[in-house]
Amino acid sequence: MWLIDTQGRKEFRHGQEAYCLASDAAHICGGFRPDVEEEWVANEERSCYNCRLRRWTEDSFVCLLAV
Amino acid sequence: MKVLICIDDTDNLESRGTGELATMLAEEIERRSWGNSDFVTRHQLLVHPDVPYTSHNSSMCFAADIDGKVLDPLIAYAGDFLQRESAVGSDPGLCVSVVEQLGEPEAAIAFGHSAKKEVLTKQAAYDMAARLGVHLSEHGGTGQGVVGALAGIGLRLGGNDGRLKGWLKIKTKDGLASVGEILAQTTLGGVRTMDGDLLDVEEMVEVESKPKAVLLEGKIYMMVSPLADGGRARWRTTPRQQLKKF
Repeated sequence: MWLIDTQGRKEFRHGQEAYCLASDAAHICGGFRPDVEEEWVANEERSCYNCRLRRWTEDSFVCLLAV
Repeated sequence: MKVLICIDDTDNLESRGTGELATMLAEEIERRSWGNSDFVTRHQLLVHPDVPYTSHNSSMCFAADIDGKVLDPLIAYAGDFLQRESAVGSDPGLCVSVVEQLGEPEAAIAFGHSAKKEVLTKQAAYDMAARLGVHLSEHGGTGQGVVGALAGIGLRLGGNDGRLKGWLKIKTKDGLASVGEILAQTTLGGVRTMDGDLLDVEEMVEVESKPKAVLLEGKIYMMVSPLADGGRARWRTTPRQQLKKF
């Protein structure tokens, strides 16, 4: 589900539209922190796409939790 | 006079969001009897490695109808507020525009759209602000937020960008409401399909939790999508994930 990018960051492999996978990932993550509501993009509240620790990239996002 | 107030880049990973600060500013304007504040909109800007941001790159804008004599105190208050309330490590920017005095509205709108597609510099923002005759100021850090603050003014002015902060409060019966009932409970300009059609008041809509509104053609709309089974209603509120483009 994750790739380690050239800067050693954890990048979500499935892009910005994989809602089920992003939700699955958040449900097994102990570090999930919901972002402010206006920044939610997924219907499921608990989703990496709604997490404060995701940093959007052009194609996907990286997770700021330590690898 | 009608003013647009936009702020950007006020947060860090631990702090309140920029939207909350915009709401606090909007409420303070009313608390001080300076005028009436309107809804806050969120405007997505370019996500690019060369654009610094916290976890998203969006600015927050609202309109207010104020007495002309409070314009300068409002700008001073808003600047101090950002200086005080913005998070450590943020780069806050503030833009305040008097709508009827805006020299070239089309240039402001074009700047906003440019900020969604290309990397813009602080200098470009200050040059454009001078051309437009709007207040633009930075209140900490690198001040890079001035780019988004000015862009947000243009995007709000254009009336075709952004989602409203918060969600619509709509009472339903078993999750259903007619368009007429929805309009009676909100200040929406209408209930609109993703294809752009307005629904008639008798149409029934399945309203999901925390429905969002978007800014289109200068009005706020709740977007709906067709329901496949068409049993209780032909429409449902468009899922949040399909509203990303606004």
